[in-house]
Amino acid sequence: MPRAASSSTATVWAILRKECRSEWRTRYGLNAAVLFAVTSLTAVTFAAGRMPDRPDLLSALLWITLLFAALSSMSHSFVREMESRTLLLMRLVASPTEIALGKLLFNLLFLVIVEVVTVPLFLLLTGAPPLRMAQFLLILGLGTLSLAASSTLVGAVIAQTRSRGALFAGVSLPLLLPVLASGVSGTRAQWDGMPVDGDARLLAAYAVALFGVSLLLYDHLWED
Amino acid sequence: MTAAPAVRVGGSKLTHRYGRRATGVSELEFEFGSPGAVAVTGPNGSGKSTLLRILAGLLRPTAGSTTVSVDGRDHRPADRRDVLGFVTPELSFYEEFTATENLVFAAEARGLEAPAHAASAALARVGLGTRAGDRVAVYSSGMKQRLRLAFALLHEPPVLLLDEPGSHLDEAGREAVRDVVSQQSARGLVLLATNDPEEIQLAARRLELHGHGLGDPA
Repeated sequence: MPRAASSSTATVWAILRKECRSEWRTRYGLNAAVLFAVTSLTAVTFAAGRMPDRPDLLSALLWITLLFAALSSMSHSFVREMESRTLLLMRLVASPTEIALGKLLFNLLFLVIVEVVTVPLFLLLTGAPPLRMAQFLLILGLGTLSLAASSTLVGAVIAQTRSRGALFAGVSLPLLLPVLASGVSGTRAQWDGMPVDGDARLLAAYAVALFGVSLLLYDHLWED
Repeated sequence: MTAAPAVRVGGSKLTHRYGRRATGVSELEFEFGSPGAVAVTGPNGSGKSTLLRILAGLLRPTAGSTTVSVDGRDHRPADRRDVLGFVTPELSFYEEFTATENLVFAAEARGLEAPAHAASAALARVGLGTRAGDRVAVYSSGMKQRLRLAFALLHEPPVLLLDEPGSHLDEAGREAVRDVVSQQSARGLVLLATNDPEEIQLAARRLELHGHGLGDPA
């Protein structure tokens, strides 16, 4: 059977498209993530009102909302493959690294969609002060990359364990704390008119380190 | 018409244990060449499926090594998915997708040039052509088994590993298995893990695993 050139890229692309189609069919994660974001933002706004003069609270609230909205769904990326026993199918058509890269791209796309819904809603409901758009997008983008890389790595590592759900929270927390801290700090700095370079550098370095470690680990993850 | 590839599949001092539990895969020495079919037999729990998983590169043996070579080129365990098709009861499909969508995904991930054509040819070969557009969720056990066979044939691999291929199949399905084994035996190598006397008859050679069955606790 003839093969197309550059088959690794084709494989990653095929996995990304499969993930998108599966999510579209089942709405497994997106509905839960958006519902969480909308509900939590609405509840906080009802309780605390608009708070344009509290960038410290706003930046924490934004990242907590994004983090939990995303984690409630992204943790299932590999777990679902295990529970529906389809990971074997994946392993028979792709290398572990290709599988993980496809899922990483899907998690990135998923986060971007969640953010497209959540961030404007957040700004509207909380009455946040005007954004310094370039700095805000830089921090948001790098934070998103780190968030996707860490949740993909943890999802892949815990996929074959018995207490997957409980482990995801426990293993993710130490990996996600630096992302959360830098994200909150950078977002606050852009509202305070301060430079965001330090936080951006930290987020970028963290994303690169996570990605590098992931590439080293993925090929050994599912060896029985 | 291209010549059939020369395939060799072998194992040297191949041993696998699950913790302290031994299997029939113990100090195994074997080598089989194409064309033809080999029946891997032995009692339940003797390690037939384990052996196929090791050959497929899905399981690392406790000791020893395996070789899979096609036209003189050795394939490392991690790269064997390109040259072999694997049917096993453990293989499941995405139930929210149709049979065609599952196979098109597999063909795209394998980097095949015409995924839709490969999927439809494989489905037709196992008699699922008319139900190709149904979601896998509504498939019966027998239809899922046929789909596993189609999945293994998708990229026309020179090596076919079949673990209990006739399970859940009706007579027409078993006939499809016989056809596949017969055609594949002529153009490559088939390893058939089974205890079904009819399926054993499909193979001219045999590899008997001598475990005690249901796992040797020793």
